Amino acid sequence: MSTKIDLEQEGVEVRKSVCYFCHQNCGCLVYVKDGKIIHFEGDLDYPTNSGGLCCRGNVNLIHLDHEARVNFPLKRKGERGAGEWERITWEQAIDEIGAKLEEIREKHGAEAVATAGGTSRTDDWARRRFMNLYGSPNGFHNSHLCWIPTFMIETAIYGWSPFEIDLGLSKCIVLWGQNPAISTLPEQAGISALKKNGLKVIVIDPRFTETAAKADLWIPVKPGTDLALALAWINTIIYEGLADYEFVYEHCVGFDELTEHIEQYTPEWAEPITGVSADLIREGARMYATSKPGNIQWGVAIDQIGKPAGAAMHARAILRAITGNLDCPGADLLTGPSQEFITDEEMELNDMLPEEQRKKQLGSDKYKLVTWPGYGRIAEITKKYWGKAPTAEWMCEAHPPSVYNAILTGDPYPVKALLVSATNPINSYGESKKVLAALEAVDFLVTCDYWLTPTAMLSDYVLPMAGSFERPTITSTYGCSDFLMCSQRAIQPMYERKTDFEFWRDLGIRLGQKEYWPWETLEDAYFDRIKDLGYGVENYDEFVEYFRFHFPEREYYKYKERGGFATPSGKVEIYSSVLEELGYPPLPSYIPPAENPIDHPELAKEYPLVLTTGAGIMPFHHSEHFNIKELRFLRHEPHMEINPETAEEYGIKDGDWVWIETKRGRIKQKAHVTEGIAPGVVFTERGWWYPERDLRAPELGGCLESNTNVLTSTADEHCDPISGTWANRGLLCKVYKADGSDGKEAN
Amino acid sequence: MPRYAMVIDTRKCTGCQSCTVACRVHNKLPVDMIYNPVTTHGPVGKFPHVRMTHIPSLCMHCDVSPCVDACPTGASQQREDGIVWVEAEKCVGCKACVMACPYGARVSNHEEGTVQKCNFCKDDRVDQGKLPWCVQTCHQKARVFGDIEDENSEVFKLVNGSKNVGRLLEELGTEPFVYYLY
Amino acid sequence: MSAKHETWGWMLAVDFFFAGMGAAMLLFAGIAELFGGSNLSTVGILAGAVFVAIGACLLILELGRPFQALRVFMNPKAILTFGAWNMSFAIVAGLLLGTSYMEIFPWFGIVGLQKVLAVICVICGLVVATYPGVLLGRHKGRPFWTGSGMPVLFLTSSLLTGLAAYIVCGWFTEVAPVVTDLFPYLAAGLCLFQLVIWVSYIWIKSSGGSVHAVEAVRRWTKGNYATGFQAGFMFVGTVVPLILFLIPNATAVGIGGLLAILGGLIMRNLVVYSGQDRTWLPGEKEYRSRLPQGHEAFLQKVWTKQI
Repeated sequence: MSTKIDLEQEGVEVRKSVCYFCHQNCGCLVYVKDGKIIHFEGDLDYPTNSGGLCCRGNVNLIHLDHEARVNFPLKRKGERGAGEWERITWEQAIDEIGAKLEEIREKHGAEAVATAGGTSRTDDWARRRFMNLYGSPNGFHNSHLCWIPTFMIETAIYGWSPFEIDLGLSKCIVLWGQNPAISTLPEQAGISALKKNGLKVIVIDPRFTETAAKADLWIPVKPGTDLALALAWINTIIYEGLADYEFVYEHCVGFDELTEHIEQYTPEWAEPITGVSADLIREGARMYATSKPGNIQWGVAIDQIGKPAGAAMHARAILRAITGNLDCPGADLLTGPSQEFITDEEMELNDMLPEEQRKKQLGSDKYKLVTWPGYGRIAEITKKYWGKAPTAEWMCEAHPPSVYNAILTGDPYPVKALLVSATNPINSYGESKKVLAALEAVDFLVTCDYWLTPTAMLSDYVLPMAGSFERPTITSTYGCSDFLMCSQRAIQPMYERKTDFEFWRDLGIRLGQKEYWPWETLEDAYFDRIKDLGYGVENYDEFVEYFRFHFPEREYYKYKERGGFATPSGKVEIYSSVLEELGYPPLPSYIPPAENPIDHPELAKEYPLVLTTGAGIMPFHHSEHFNIKELRFLRHEPHMEINPETAEEYGIKDGDWVWIETKRGRIKQKAHVTEGIAPGVVFTERGWWYPERDLRAPELGGCLESNTNVLTSTADEHCDPISGTWANRGLLCKVYKADGSDGKEAN
Repeated sequence: MPRYAMVIDTRKCTGCQSCTVACRVHNKLPVDMIYNPVTTHGPVGKFPHVRMTHIPSLCMHCDVSPCVDACPTGASQQREDGIVWVEAEKCVGCKACVMACPYGARVSNHEEGTVQKCNFCKDDRVDQGKLPWCVQTCHQKARVFGDIEDENSEVFKLVNGSKNVGRLLEELGTEPFVYYLY
Repeated sequence: MSAKHETWGWMLAVDFFFAGMGAAMLLFAGIAELFGGSNLSTVGILAGAVFVAIGACLLILELGRPFQALRVFMNPKAILTFGAWNMSFAIVAGLLLGTSYMEIFPWFGIVGLQKVLAVICVICGLVVATYPGVLLGRHKGRPFWTGSGMPVLFLTSSLLTGLAAYIVCGWFTEVAPVVTDLFPYLAAGLCLFQLVIWVSYIWIKSSGGSVHAVEAVRRWTKGNYATGFQAGFMFVGTVVPLILFLIPNATAVGIGGLLAILGGLIMRNLVVYSGQDRTWLPGEKEYRSRLPQGHEAFLQKVWTKQI
């Protein structure tokens, strides 16, 4: 069957766009005629994807005009969740939402308005700009679960996060709780190409992932015990004399304290905790320390282990320092923020948020690193050194569980409105039942989305968002990279969709912020950011057309020229003065997972298995794409993983529907019995809801039935005291077969 | 005359199934139809000593193609460049070719009443000098397509320069032109 | 992706059954005419032709585009084309031969014509009784079918059901004496032969074949075909008729004939459906088992635009 489309015909314009379904932003060429897309494909010349597109990338046009998309502003007519909507104009929507926000600010203060975000696929500087001008410190994302605490710990210790990995010259890469073979495909392509040159790959993951299957070494650490492994690696490297002593003594502080502190954490000590043999622990540590230069690639696993997360990030950061794998060729590079273009942070107007409002940021009294206390201190240091600070939206946010609690309890003060953009919190945030209760309880709920998600269904207003190909995009690693990758929108948004930038701008103007929103379009705003780069272009589209990227020349050893690192001492602070200042341990000590059989023997009697959740699965992304039949067909039901030995013990056969239950609740998924996971460990797939079902309350698309976040914990005692990240991994659960009386099966 | 072939590097394939989706989207296949599944073999062994391979497949464009021989109407044909394809107008949907193919590469379209299969995207890609969709979409470059008669082609070099190269169900004598590196 | 995409269904099995039985009936009629100059049974011969025609109809109905059925005559290299031609000839020859024994037709009793038709019936009957077995046996990718066993099994069953059909005819219509005197013993012999070759076939597939064959044959020995095969086909459809054919009693022999026919029907269905077992690629079975079957809610869902 021929599907040939004439791309040479008159009037066809080729737009340099990107896929917008994850942060990889793979390059696409989009063929447009008369304002309509007639064809698209991966851009063979784009440096990351070289024409490649994943499952999701391929369904761009299906997504673009899917029947279930929200295309017009909707206002709730009936009860919350009844699914009765009135179509209104944008003007009316903005006017009414603006009026409500004014009213709340007058009655309860600006802090009574919070915003929730999802992944970094929105222009978050615009959101923060609006919130700063409005006066609320309570914007948040799922940032805690995704890199942000890692970034901030590393910035506290090295003066920036070394997320730029110089893989081409590397001899070893540690993929710590990362599965690029499924979640960041271009990166995996790079790794597998370099394996020929002798690049060693170490995968640390409780699951035998697609990436682990191709690794030189797989270390199946028990969920939540990454800290013990990291400490034992430090111990091995120091006590086997594998450290880079020159780097350590010239450029670090605290190595002697560390040497003494780490003595107790031997591989033998770690073996029973991690479930990894002392020999394998040593083998991994030696491989990383001796195959130099080497990289430790960030993965979300440690961000999501809750209580021990901060210490584990600290320990992992120390590994780079003691092996000298920092800012040298082939290692993890401290690029710092861009010195050339205007960064996200510079677009945020953080100075506009008064000090007394900063103090009100929810959760900042308990969790200081990624809220104003820690961010403020770190931004002060980096500004002195780099002249710039990390992006505040993401790095400095309200603690999400604290916001949901405030909605539910009014403690420490009431939160009356939640503006949701690009997230479905019921499925994406921890402890779904609590989140659902908060969304039901909050006075005023506005959702900006592509779809009527369970969250959108509960909203007072739903606003149609422009998606992939309908918006220009700047890719810059949460605004913290020194490079830019720019793309055009292929078409103007269809129907009455708008970008989130326009939403915040319109709302800002409605609330009297007009002078702060000089840009008519997102392209205008982007152009302002890049116009001083010296490319001699007249507008943003022209920059994309002719240049598309700005990659500064790679510099190594910046600390040598700049007289040290961006820390209080000017050195790499193994012994962290910033953490100490904030009241946290300056060196990482072992903290067990939030729930574990040693500290909680009673709990372990009822919930004997260890749970890990939250890993990415193709072809979905977080809680997205379950409504795209072309993708759903490949994985139409949720699957949990369990070892055959454990499955047999509980009478579970491959393909059985099973309940997975923690103290917070239970969910149903199908059993995948596999040797790729340790006995006693259970993995559940994330994101699941059933868009084909009734979306009205209380069914809400079956959003609790298979949703792994019903199981996770956001209790204060389970959160990392440093960052506040909650526990998705390293929890205790039980598993049992679901019988016919358990209600309707998925499908 | 070229002889088209594909080399699939199972050491690179991660089982992401992008090729399956690219194929179905661009070839506008019915939602329940798949030309090129990616199967997962494993994990085999016992934890933690396990291994796992992903095996992308598609029509093998065999030289001795049982499907073409089985077709009573002549709808199933093989071009001189090796591409096996179905001329939809001639197909009556007897499924003789579906049954004849040892690789499960043919599927019935119940709406149309005909049988469909991978044709290396001959019309809108290969004949236009472009790569089949499954090849272009693969981030891992696990699928390589080209003319195996051409000694300078990558497929020729990979097939002739690798020790670990094989074909699926070679014992059946179908002479498939899809090679696997392992 | 459900199996409906990938395998032949019951209509083809019933086609093979009817066509095989009818073809064998024409074959016997041809032999009787050629070598004995006798008419086995007018009704039986006509029934044979009709059975082959029923088979052909089912074959057409099994097609995805039945109205294009004539195209199947196009590829002389394809075995299905060969079968289609032979079935056509068999139907025509059978009808003419059968009617040539009836006075009302102008070609009644033309000996020369009867001999020619008999030759066609013998050749085409033999081909139609055998070719489905050859067709299946040539499927290298279907481990249960592949090999030279299938033609023998199909021919045997065709001959047995053909004999049985004449025996049943003998219950209510006039048949040549050979049908009542000799056919039950021939049928008993074929039952015994059928028993032996099926046991051998299953044995060979489960021990001497490929790993795929071993997996496929498990369906017949322990899996979901075990009852149908062992109790239905082997016992009720083979062993019981074997005994009944040897009892010199018209009723017993007639019942034996019916059971043998039933056995042939069961066997064709089991054999055709076992074509779903392919030479699976590594991991393919699990992959396919996880795909939707077609009834799932998400597949049925029809989205409608918001407002």
